[in-house]
Parts: sequence; C-alpha cells; structure tokens
Amino acid sequence: MVGHNESSGKKSSEATNDVPTLNAESLQSNMKIIYYSRTFMSIIGGVIAGILGFTGLSGFVLYFLIMAVTSVGLIAKAGFQVHSYFDSWNQIILDGVLGGLLSFVLFWTFAYDIVHIF
Amino acid sequence: MAADLVLDTAIRDWVLIPLSVVMVLIGVLRYFVSKLMRSSQVPDAKIVKEGQLVIRARNLRASANFIPPKSFRARRFYFSNEENGLLFVPKGQAQNPQAQMFSDPNMAMDMMKKNLSMIIPQTLTFAWVNFFFSGFVAAKIPFPLTQRFRSMLQNGIDLSTVDVSYVSSRSWYFLNLFGLRGLFSLILGEENAMDDTQRMMQMSGFGMDPSKSLGAEKDSLDIIQHDWALPKFEHRAEVVLKKLVR
Repeated sequence: MVGHNESSGKKSSEATNDVPTLNAESLQSNMKIIYYSRTFMSIIGGVIAGILGFTGLSGFVLYFLIMAVTSVGLIAKAGFQVHSYFDSWNQIILDGVLGGLLSFVLFWTFAYDIVHIF
Repeated sequence: MAADLVLDTAIRDWVLIPLSVVMVLIGVLRYFVSKLMRSSQVPDAKIVKEGQLVIRARNLRASANFIPPKSFRARRFYFSNEENGLLFVPKGQAQNPQAQMFSDPNMAMDMMKKNLSMIIPQTLTFAWVNFFFSGFVAAKIPFPLTQRFRSMLQNGIDLSTVDVSYVSSRSWYFLNLFGLRGLFSLILGEENAMDDTQRMMQMSGFGMDPSKSLGAEKDSLDIIQHDWALPKFEHRAEVVLKKLVR
C-alpha cells in the first residue's frame, strides 16, 4: 500500500465532510494494487478449482468465495481503515470482481482438463 | 447428454499445452517487439507545456478549499483572466489536431506500427492453429452450457451430437486470447497492449485538442465554488481534542 497520505489521517470516523482528502494518484495506485491482487487470485483460484475437480456451479461458488477472501485480505492489509485508502467500501469489495472471471474460467478449464479429462 | 468422449493424452501433450504455451510466449514476444519498435519521439515543447498547465490548473481546482479565498482568487485570476491568463486561448489560434496529424507523418506511422504489432501475431497464430490443430477436440470446460454456445466453443467441428462443453482447438485459441489478458497484465506490468492505446492518448495528447482541454479547464476553474475548509478543520480539531481530554 503506497498511498497513505498524511491529510487522510485526519479523517476520523465521524467526520463525513465533503472535502476530498485523498491523493488522486495514490488512490489510483491503490486501485491498481487491488486489480493485480484480484487477477492473481483469480488465476490461482482457477488452478485450484481445476485441480480439485470442481464442476458446474461449485466452481463459480469457489470463485466468488475466493474473491470474498481477497476482499477480506485487502481490507486487513488496509488495517481495517478503508476510508484512509479508498473513497468507499464498494471500491475494495466490488471492483474487478467480474473482471477476473475470464481468467478464472480459462485456468480452471486448463487445470481441470490436464488433471481430470485426459 | 451424450456419452463422454475419451480424449487421447497425446492431444493434451501436443495440442492443449503447446497451444497455451505458445499463446503466452507470443504475447510476451509481442510486448517486447512493440517496445522495441516504439520510436521515442521528442515531444513538442508547446504540447508538454500545455499539458503541465492543465495539470497545474487541475491541482488548484482539487485543493482549492485548502487555501484562503484571497489566494484562490489570485491564482484563478492568474490562470483564467481574459487578457494574458495562462488558460485563455485566443480564438482562431487553436490548432486542428487532424491537420497536425497529417503534417507529422511520425504520428500516423506510430499508430500503424502499433496496430500492426497487434494484428500480425494474431493472424499468424490463428493461421498456425488452423493449419496444425483444426478439428481437434482439445478441451472440456467443467460446466454445462446451452446449445447457443456451440458455435462459439466448437468452432471447426461440425458435429451436433457432441456435448457443448467440449471445446475445439480453434475455440481454445480464442479462449486463450481473451483469458490470458489478466496473466499478461501480471507478468508484463501495466503497460501491455491492452491499455497501450489509452496511455498513448494521455501521454502525447494525441487525438484530443490541447486548446480545447485548456478551455474546458478554464471553464471548470471559473465555475468552482470556493469554500475554505480550514475553519471547519479547526472546529473538527476542537472536537477531537476535547474527546481526547475527556
């Protein structure tokens, strides 16, 4: 986590004012980190799902489970103070959840075929 | 559901794995080739200046509330007054970007190189897959799909009795083409071909009129409502400190 700028430290929990205290570049860097972690986790999760031989719905359930775990991990990495790194909760929980799906399906299929089909 | 097909392990060793490996390697190769071909053009001083100016104005706009009203007005006047403000562009001086593009052949050349470095490897790989691996059932996706996906997943196999979840080699190529994007962004960093065009737009100011962006920045600077944040900050500090003392 690069972008914890000083002014955001002032943002205490009850202060919900409209003054943006987040540095835009740092915010962007944080978003990029989220994107990378999600992509990485979706690839790893695809391989895991394939090796364990999940088929059908259970694989997708595993995907969303992994995404949820990633979200929790990211929040933990942010020290449970999401508002000092991001604008809203949505950014850390929902962003890029569907973007990794294609990678997940690809690696799921790949691992599943190699291990179980042939 | 039709009876399960038995796929030969040789298909795995000689079709599925090589195809995926080749796709990854070609993606890496394309990245480095396009990096080599990227001509480092000297940026036009005027364009760079205007870009920096826009960034400065944007910074002022973003942090307007942290400076006193008087300072803000002075800065705004500096940027946007009608005589010699930095953001003020006299009418008729605006350069047409289209004309600029034609006058500078390097730009068009750069565009073409980029497009070619995208298209050529894809065409070659597709031809290669078609030539060597046409008609293989290469993979099976682990979830059921409806008949509608048959044309998408069994491109190159004309059998209607095969279960839809079997994937032909040509379709496996397409799946790789789209699905490996995430992997590329991981192994090649952010500057891979996917957001290359986007980055180019931002950096060289190509495709957007610099004077237009100056005008837009001036307008948004003009309409901004200044609201000094510091008094509120003092109030907030008071609250926080009181809480600490208690």
